[in-house]
Amino acid sequence: MTERPGWSRKAQYGLFFGLIAVVAGIIVGLVLLAMSLVSPASFERIRGGALDVNASIAGALHEVTATVGGLASGAGNYWDAARQNGELKRERRLMLQRMIEATAIRQENRQLKEALQLRERSPTAIAAGRVVGSSFNSPRRFAILSVGASDGLRIGMPVRAAEGLVGRIIDLGQQSSRVLLISDRASIVPARLLRGGQPVIAQGRGDGTIDVRPLEVGRNPFKRGDIIVTSGTGGLYPPLVLVAKVVRLDDDGAVAIPLADPATTSFAIAEAPFEPRAQEISAVADMAPERR
Amino acid sequence: MVRSALGSKRRIGESPPGYAPYIPALSVVAASLLSALPIISVSGWYPDFAFLMLIAWRLLRSDPFPAWWAAPLGLVNDLFTGAPIGFSVALWSASVLVLDLADRRTMWRDYWIEWVLAAVLIVVSKWFEWRVAAWGGADVPLANMVPSLAISILLFPVVAWLVLRIDRWRLAQ
Repeated sequence: MTERPGWSRKAQYGLFFGLIAVVAGIIVGLVLLAMSLVSPASFERIRGGALDVNASIAGALHEVTATVGGLASGAGNYWDAARQNGELKRERRLMLQRMIEATAIRQENRQLKEALQLRERSPTAIAAGRVVGSSFNSPRRFAILSVGASDGLRIGMPVRAAEGLVGRIIDLGQQSSRVLLISDRASIVPARLLRGGQPVIAQGRGDGTIDVRPLEVGRNPFKRGDIIVTSGTGGLYPPLVLVAKVVRLDDDGAVAIPLADPATTSFAIAEAPFEPRAQEISAVADMAPERR
Repeated sequence: MVRSALGSKRRIGESPPGYAPYIPALSVVAASLLSALPIISVSGWYPDFAFLMLIAWRLLRSDPFPAWWAAPLGLVNDLFTGAPIGFSVALWSASVLVLDLADRRTMWRDYWIEWVLAAVLIVVSKWFEWRVAAWGGADVPLANMVPSLAISILLFPVVAWLVLRIDRWRLAQ
């Protein structure tokens, strides 16, 4: 393209225009990049379409890998079955006791709440889908969920699994959606310590772990093994959803591991935001990310 | 190369089939589609396969595709990998341009020089990806990028070998 191809004028012009086209490609790319960083909503439609294609392939392949994986682990489960059976029976007895205790506590709780006239808003599940893919070659942490706009999902909805909080929806296709995981650097979850209830902030670190910091400056409140739950502050995430478990302390906070591992959660549920207005706010916040 | 050409069933003087010139671009698109694999990673250390494919093709031949194709191929990659639109468009066009300039400057070429060139481009691409993530509100520590950088650089020879095999296959058709 920059080499002189010989004496042919036609070939020389061809190369020159090729060079111009590449420089134009760089400029167009930078303009598109600036647009998608300043207002991510500008390419919503086309990104959603590509996401659907991506998720349909990933979904089909996921079935295959899940079947193969299931066969392998299924065979493994027969190994040592008698001992496992005994253990499970013992666990079950313990769990039954705990369940009865929990039911009693829940009843008491309801009575107390009625006495205080507190109204409990139960979050409504919109759709349940599988986690079929992820951004495995990027510093950002996204997952692809197999439900989309046609299932009633909207951008900004919180996503959770049985094990805990997964993240929130940032890109929407018709049959699929992209989830910003709580381990992404741009994800900030208002949370609190389950032990003691001290308010903390959980921000992703981009490598699958989460930074937790106390909201109030002071003594480091964390211990290894502490459980972090959502606080419900801000109204997007419902309160008392499991978020992460502390694994390491650092000088003014701690590093935690999300309890819902997207690689092993089979189903994730998208819910309506805890407070209806929070979704609008979160959607607006997504459109104008904080510039640094 | 000559030996592999002799292995072809094609008659002498007959050109490769009509689709042969499009194989390099198609293989880059196929590499972009690898992001649809159901790999659920919490670390993000996998390489950007399509970018490695693109520079491997461009290092192997000076004309795998017209240079301006880097822009639309980059757009396809952005759409499928979920990177901000325009990221690969700009990066890939710039990489192709840099490799053209490198073609002019290098006196001789061997595997080591190609690997070093690829490594430099991969470092720049990772740095750019890191900056773009920070502009998008996710300023991860630069140290987080090191494992994925090392994996990409170490994987490049494998991709280059794969590209060489594809090239021989398409010309022997």
